[in-house]
Amino acid sequence: MSTSPGYERLHPRVQRWCFAQGWRALRDVQERAVGPILAAKGDLILAAATAAGKTEAAFLPITTHLLNEPAEGLRVLCVSPLKALINDQHRRLEELCGAAGIDVHRWHGDVGESAKCEVLEQPRGVLLITPESLEALFVLRGTRVPELFGSLAYVVVDELHAFLGTDRGRQLQSLLHRLELVARRRLPRVGLSATLGDRSLAAGFLRPEEPSRVEVIEGDAGEQRLKLRLYARDGPDAERSIAEHLLDELRGADHLVFANSRREVELFAAHLRGMCEARRVPNEFFPHHGSLSRSLREEAESALRDDSAPRTVICTSTLELGIDLGQVTSVAQLGAPPSVASLRQRLGRSGRRGGPAILRFYLRLREPAGEAPLQDRLCEELVASAAMVELLLEGWCESPAENALALSTLLQQVLSVVAQHSGATADELYGALCHRGPFAAVDASTFAALLRAMGERDLLVQESSGALLPGLAGERLIDDYHFFAVFDTPEEYRVLHGGRELGSVPLHGAVVIGSGLIFGGSYWRVTGADEARRELFVTEGQAGDPPLFSGGRGEVAGGVRQRMRGVLEEDGPRDWLDASANRLLGEARRVYRELELDRRAVVGDGGDALFLPWAGDRALRTLAVALGARGARVSQEGMALRVERSQEAELWALLGDLESDGLGEPHELAATVALRRQAKYDELLDEELSIRDYASRALDVPGALRALRAALEGASS
Amino acid sequence: MPDPQPTPIRPRTRDAILQSLRAGVVPKRGLEHIQVGRAREVEALVGDVERIADGGAALRFVIGEYGSGKTFFLHLVRSIALERRLVTAHADLTPDRRLQASGGQARALYSQLMRNLATRSKPDGGALPGLVERFITGALKEADERGISPGEAIEERLAKLSEMVGGYDFAQVIDAYWRGHDTGNEELKSDAVRWLRGEYGTKTEARLALGVRVIVDDGTVYEHLKLMACFCRLAGYEGLLVGVDEMVNLYKLANGRARKANYERLLAILNDSLQGQTEGLGFLFAGTPEFLTDTRRGLFSYPALESRLGENTFAHGDLVDFSGPVLRLANLTPEELFVLLRNVRHVHAGGDEELYALPDEGLEAFMEHCNEVIGAAYFRTPRSTVRSFVNLLAVLEQNPGADWRALVSETDLAEERNPDLAPLEEDAQEGAEDEGDDLTSFSL
Repeated sequence: MSTSPGYERLHPRVQRWCFAQGWRALRDVQERAVGPILAAKGDLILAAATAAGKTEAAFLPITTHLLNEPAEGLRVLCVSPLKALINDQHRRLEELCGAAGIDVHRWHGDVGESAKCEVLEQPRGVLLITPESLEALFVLRGTRVPELFGSLAYVVVDELHAFLGTDRGRQLQSLLHRLELVARRRLPRVGLSATLGDRSLAAGFLRPEEPSRVEVIEGDAGEQRLKLRLYARDGPDAERSIAEHLLDELRGADHLVFANSRREVELFAAHLRGMCEARRVPNEFFPHHGSLSRSLREEAESALRDDSAPRTVICTSTLELGIDLGQVTSVAQLGAPPSVASLRQRLGRSGRRGGPAILRFYLRLREPAGEAPLQDRLCEELVASAAMVELLLEGWCESPAENALALSTLLQQVLSVVAQHSGATADELYGALCHRGPFAAVDASTFAALLRAMGERDLLVQESSGALLPGLAGERLIDDYHFFAVFDTPEEYRVLHGGRELGSVPLHGAVVIGSGLIFGGSYWRVTGADEARRELFVTEGQAGDPPLFSGGRGEVAGGVRQRMRGVLEEDGPRDWLDASANRLLGEARRVYRELELDRRAVVGDGGDALFLPWAGDRALRTLAVALGARGARVSQEGMALRVERSQEAELWALLGDLESDGLGEPHELAATVALRRQAKYDELLDEELSIRDYASRALDVPGALRALRAALEGASS
Repeated sequence: MPDPQPTPIRPRTRDAILQSLRAGVVPKRGLEHIQVGRAREVEALVGDVERIADGGAALRFVIGEYGSGKTFFLHLVRSIALERRLVTAHADLTPDRRLQASGGQARALYSQLMRNLATRSKPDGGALPGLVERFITGALKEADERGISPGEAIEERLAKLSEMVGGYDFAQVIDAYWRGHDTGNEELKSDAVRWLRGEYGTKTEARLALGVRVIVDDGTVYEHLKLMACFCRLAGYEGLLVGVDEMVNLYKLANGRARKANYERLLAILNDSLQGQTEGLGFLFAGTPEFLTDTRRGLFSYPALESRLGENTFAHGDLVDFSGPVLRLANLTPEELFVLLRNVRHVHAGGDEELYALPDEGLEAFMEHCNEVIGAAYFRTPRSTVRSFVNLLAVLEQNPGADWRALVSETDLAEERNPDLAPLEEDAQEGAEDEGDDLTSFSL
């Protein structure tokens, strides 16, 4: 082990451990993290690719600090987004910290009561925990919390990027803030993150009060060879043909196959298993997603780690995060990836320890006949995949979406603080959560309105001293362990057609009454909804999108849509596309040129008009809502907005009006959306709060206006 | 109202009283120097104390608003009980100290009560070892007088305990203490006291130390209070008065099941007491009106309690009934508050009228200021008013030249806040004054 300034500063026992690992030297991130962490003052983000040794980068100096300055009690709290990650970290940290005589405990939903009691009776060392379990500690053991966390030296957030821009991230911020309130001092925060798209956003997440003082250490990405291939299949046998290709290519080594939905995972896992059986070879393919039982998931994970037998795991984004799975030879992606950030994470799974990263794309495309919908003729999925790969290679990454108010999460946090302290006044709650806290965007009057709405629903009652306590409905909420999570355990809308139940769909984003929907193989039009009873009423229709099933992809960023346009405007085949993909791409470019989409953003389609502003989903949604508010019947179809029963010229005129009149205030637009509920407790907000929240979360008026102006300028040039 | 006695007040008493008032807590000694009003309530409780001393039972819910003087009243009754040779035990309920629980919170209440066990000679608590010691010496004396062995005398005395639920083990523990006493085994003695305080967490531990099979646990707290009351009488005291304050913490429990379990326990205690099932044991429970009457989460949410605690419908307006289990603390009148402030001023001056920090006129001005800032109800919650007043006196004392007129109008009457929810100092300094909307007076 060669020494270095950083290595020199580590405690001898930690150095011995490094030596025992057979390391030759500290890696770049590890070397650079030593100084700032040992100082134990400010906050730090360590951003590096998967398997760059981030965990060790944080815990080598942390362990050193604990050895240099021993103290009673829990010293490190490490918050991690997944139970599986915690189990994995626990295994790894037990070796490192164990060598230094420091206890490592884990605490999540699957950890037994006796292990938890041990922590409560003798809190010490490192505790690995999920945000939900941390929330439960605040709610159920509020009086113990100060003593449990009073002697923390560090708070580590693992997989920081997974929390950015999510409700769960907001909950985590709130919990970190509340930890410091009970400890009565700032606790140095260490965030471990994948490569970042935007440093300042991550810094702002980790320390909202003072982002500028967060130090960011970005790992040296290093040169990595990438082998890339995209296979396009069409026709009714596409699925089977892809499965066969997977079987031929992947058998005999460890791989990960990412699909975009649980349904797809099961589908391909079943296909591959069947084929293995037909060929009388042992099955090497196993599914992995959030709805599977823990034992099945762990079986798949440990099979990947086990070198004795080859395994391929077909999974959703569950295996995107940094669980240590050992070496994976290659990664396959079924369908276009949800985002560049996620593609980067998935790619990081492959090519560890020097080998090239291998990525295979499999797309099922419909042969774009003349009658096919425009998006199909433009090969949206293929073009999006190509755009995302290009952006990935350029090092571009989406910035997480903002959700300023997050009132649903605030509602949960209010109840949680009230339970933690057996009552708190409005003033205390505002001081703890909003005023310079994690919900700083919520002003006092909105907060008061939230409390009143909660009072009206018996979530809160007020005692004569002024303290707010959980009302009976609030008690029922808190009493259920689901309360600790801000994400919804999938609750779905029943789809009703004239009293007949067609099934159920989870709803994401806006469903504008009148929009189209594909369900059960037929086209429907949404005619109304009952939010309280979770019912969606439909009638026969002619167009629409299938519902995104639970855990569906997030929003597509504007940057990706812009690049898609670039891909369509270029010429020449891409060498990483297979023959049929290149042929389809050529086809798509021809359609793009023929329709003059480089300058025309509006295209006639049957009796309807399509609007393609090449904007991100949030801007598209905003335009849809604004057009809807002007009486148009709009639905989003991938990258396009469909305006029913409209002539091209009509739509141009409407867009022109929209530009000259302005889109309107976000608040006004939000008020016209029928189903605003998205986050878990949105339904408990009153009308006015729900509108404010939706406006801050789902709409992007400036972005929509920019896209609109660009479209109009293109037409006039 | 009679003027405060021009008696000198000892500096130690003076400092103790002022320090407590300033912290918003009830002074441990010298209550008589500041007590005002509530004569009939006190009278009713003196009756209760007498009944306990006669081997009877008593139970009262002392009901009053926040800061209306419930705790003060409890302390006052306690000091009366101590004078009457009762043993007293008191504790505040907290989220971690309840009457009924399964996670150790009831045992925690019991331990707290036992740590605060007080006798006339040890009024500040910690009287448990002395109590046991007194039992032993009493038995030894009796053995001597009657010419029997000390062991026999103790056994005879403990026979009564053994008949009660859980009494066998209780008696075993006392016996273990005696053995420790007899053989000079201090460890055995302290183990026995530890057991009596409910500080053993597991039965194994207790068996190894004392050879008993049971410990005081969440399920047996009330039984052990009854045993302790009996033991107090065996040790030569008249009985045991248990005071439990901050009952509002039951009302605040966020879990409906936990609340109901505690109310069930209260009902059992109440029934025993009303039916005279207990001997020489009295309870005082202090809480706010909503703890009692809120039909959704207060005691009245439990029908059996509501029917027993429903107040005498004939007693309304000026008519009072001090015989029921619910004792409502009458509000202090402005006149009584005036006397209270005068008493505090008197204490502050060490009983020397020459040293009064401000004239009567100043007291009136102070009350006027309170009225302006807090509203007409200020005299109903003397705690914060008195605290501010003591602060004012302290400033006047340290700045002899200062004019009371200016200071009175500047007196801060801020409400107490939960320090664990206050912004951290780093954060508070940065943006102290950017608040438009005021949430301090928020109401649903």
